[in-house]
Amino acid sequence: MIKHPLYIKAACAISPQHSFGDTPVLDPVVPSEGNRFVAVDVDYRAFINPVAIRRMSRLLKMSISAAMKCLQNAGVSMPDAIITGTGRGSAGDMQHFLKDMIMMKEEALNPTFFIQSTYNAPNGWIALQSKSTGYNQTFVHRGISLELALLDAQLLLTETGDNQNILIGSYDETTADYFVVKEKLNYWKKETVASEHLYQNNETLGTIAGEGAAFFVVSGEKEGATCSIESLEIIHQPAPTMIRNKVHEVLAANGLTTDDIDVVLCGRSGDVRFEAWYNVLEDFTTQTIAGFKHLCGEYETTSGFALWLAHHIFSQASVPESTILQKGDRKEIRHVLIINHFILDTVSITLLRG
Amino acid sequence: MEKIVVSSVGILSALGCGMHQNIQALLQKKSGLHFPVHLQSVHAQEFLLGEVNFSNEEMAMLVGLQENMQGLTRTTLLSLVALQELMGKIDRALLRDEPVALINASTVGGMCSVEDHYLDFIEPGKRGDFIQYINSSDCGDSTERAARYFGLKPLMATISTACSSSANAVIMGARLIQQGVVKRAICGGTDALCRFTLNGFNSLKNVDKGPCRPFDQTRFGLNLGEGAGYLLLEKEEDAKARGAEILAYLGGYANSNDAYHPTAPSPDGAGAFRTMEQALKHAKLQPEDISYINAHGTATINNDAAEGLAIQQLFAEKVPYFSSTKAFTGHTLAAAGAIEAIFSIISLQQQAVFANLNFTTPMEELSITPVTDTLENVPVQHVMSNSFGFGGNNVSLIFSK
Amino acid sequence: MIIFAAHVFLSFMEDLKTTLKQQIIESLNLQGMKPEDIDDNAPLFGDGLGLDSIDSLELMVLLERNYGIKIEDAREGRKVLGSVQTMAEYIQQHRTV
Repeated sequence: MIKHPLYIKAACAISPQHSFGDTPVLDPVVPSEGNRFVAVDVDYRAFINPVAIRRMSRLLKMSISAAMKCLQNAGVSMPDAIITGTGRGSAGDMQHFLKDMIMMKEEALNPTFFIQSTYNAPNGWIALQSKSTGYNQTFVHRGISLELALLDAQLLLTETGDNQNILIGSYDETTADYFVVKEKLNYWKKETVASEHLYQNNETLGTIAGEGAAFFVVSGEKEGATCSIESLEIIHQPAPTMIRNKVHEVLAANGLTTDDIDVVLCGRSGDVRFEAWYNVLEDFTTQTIAGFKHLCGEYETTSGFALWLAHHIFSQASVPESTILQKGDRKEIRHVLIINHFILDTVSITLLRG
Repeated sequence: MEKIVVSSVGILSALGCGMHQNIQALLQKKSGLHFPVHLQSVHAQEFLLGEVNFSNEEMAMLVGLQENMQGLTRTTLLSLVALQELMGKIDRALLRDEPVALINASTVGGMCSVEDHYLDFIEPGKRGDFIQYINSSDCGDSTERAARYFGLKPLMATISTACSSSANAVIMGARLIQQGVVKRAICGGTDALCRFTLNGFNSLKNVDKGPCRPFDQTRFGLNLGEGAGYLLLEKEEDAKARGAEILAYLGGYANSNDAYHPTAPSPDGAGAFRTMEQALKHAKLQPEDISYINAHGTATINNDAAEGLAIQQLFAEKVPYFSSTKAFTGHTLAAAGAIEAIFSIISLQQQAVFANLNFTTPMEELSITPVTDTLENVPVQHVMSNSFGFGGNNVSLIFSK
Repeated sequence: MIIFAAHVFLSFMEDLKTTLKQQIIESLNLQGMKPEDIDDNAPLFGDGLGLDSIDSLELMVLLERNYGIKIEDAREGRKVLGSVQTMAEYIQQHRTV
């Protein structure tokens, strides 16, 4: 889908792990509790105006802080555009308002929860805080929400020229309600699994729930960028062979073979239903294969965490030990391939170049 | 840049099902607002709403799904009925054989069903029929169901930017075509009335119990509505090559952000001004080229003041006919941008501008007033359609003859 | 007798204002503030506590939930919500619970 490289100038993630950069990254690794990951809070007050922060939900605080920190990292005060993707937006506020409405029989309801339940509420706040009056967009399409935001960014750079700084982001939270609701659709494992053993527990339905916010400053200009997104493909309700074919198609379209790939980040989640979707990993025998859902859990925009991890790998020129599923023989990291899925739904394939 | 045209539309609103009923209501100044029949709410007899005059079962029959309503919400049904009209003007095989996008919009997905079952949803261990509605809480649910129903494998996207959602869907579709990602795009949005939204706006104390009065000094707030609207976009040459009737040209558009407040527009209308100005620039038009503005005009205190000031400032001595059609349909939220885009196309086709219903008293802060009667035989060359949402998300679209 | 009644009224009014301040702090999540930090007559909006239009809606919810007072018109609400003093006086006159 992407015809024009998107250069990533900065990345910032708030996740269940230490990923924000204010403490050593991914050290120590934080385990899940009861098949659920909760994002590590950061000092939100450093990024959000104190009058505004009073009423904000955790999701808003997470997304605004990750966005503002990302802009700082990129040395950009005002992005030219803000494009986000989210599966569920401020699910907590939406649930709060909904439950109050039912309990209070539609009387005396707090407007704050309604206002903040709007999917694009973080976009509005980020625009306000960064005084960005440019293009502003929010995609809400399950497991491909962030991917659509990246596609949109690429369209925008082609239209406006390469020198634009676009803030891209994803955010999703797992509330107690959501955990219960999706349990009914077998999203989570029935047996409690230690997150470090997620990939060995791959014979039962379900995985571990997670959440997080990840933001990126992208531009069409190479200067100052750590890596670039060269290719991005989405497959709906795929068969395993379709995924394998698409991966090879993407590589061929970029003049590459599997040999050129140094690291594969895979979205395996220990859910028996989707293990076959990763059969294509058999074609990568000498490459490092790394997982990330044992660190961030499952939610619609895990691709944000994966992209942050890829950026981290390029900037450190090494793959964190805690992510490695198969150790490869490469000395240099030039190409990273992300293969990710969301429950029952979609697979995305992202090719990055260092 | 190649010209993007609208070659088919589909609409379902409180004014009726399909283009014909909507055109008749607009020309005859017949508002679709009434006390709801289908929405179950303790406030049902308090608020006038733009409810679509179909039950879910009736809509399911219209699309032949009465035997298979598993997990089907009113949000999706509204969407399917509107899309069915759009599909009438294009060979379905073309949509299968050539790359197409389906860009949908929704503010609360299947909330209309979710709110009926939420306590069952969150009761640990509880199972039952309600489970069919769990995944309808995703905004993308209606998009995926529509693609499946029409047998398409499109590039799918769902947008949610509050009240500008489907106007953004139109922009996204046009851009995907311009850059050759797809050949055609079906763009629009759907939202069903639900207690969540009604109580949400009521908690903001900006819902009028009587008919709303856009751009009027005595306005109090909005009326909510529901519906769905979709536009088929393609390049002019592609439409001509398949002998399609060209309904209108999408001349230009703009999306920009207020960066002022989480819900309120900048009081001086700076955000609305910037968006309209950028849309004109994108369409390579001057303010005096616009024949009619279908305003966002929600009849809330804040919106109409900001939008009115922005129109007054941008169009100065040559303010064109402008009106809000929200008093016809109610505010249909994620569907509003597409429904009003279709009204703009009707304006071009009928050479008519539509009455801003219920207007009596000019606003103190404005020297301009909306058009109070539906006028036919008016030369309409270019129409601007505004959609402004929470989060400062502003969109203006320009359609041309 | 008259002096006694006025005394009761005044202390009742003082209690109401203290309760109200506590409720405002909780409802608006004014972290770190104590009832004594809020002056009875200081404007709640604008330069006073720096509250905004959404806070004013939240305060109307507070009045409805705690005192059974329903204000339909946000503009009317703004007058009532001038200060803790004006709120307390309005509650005195209109409370239903």
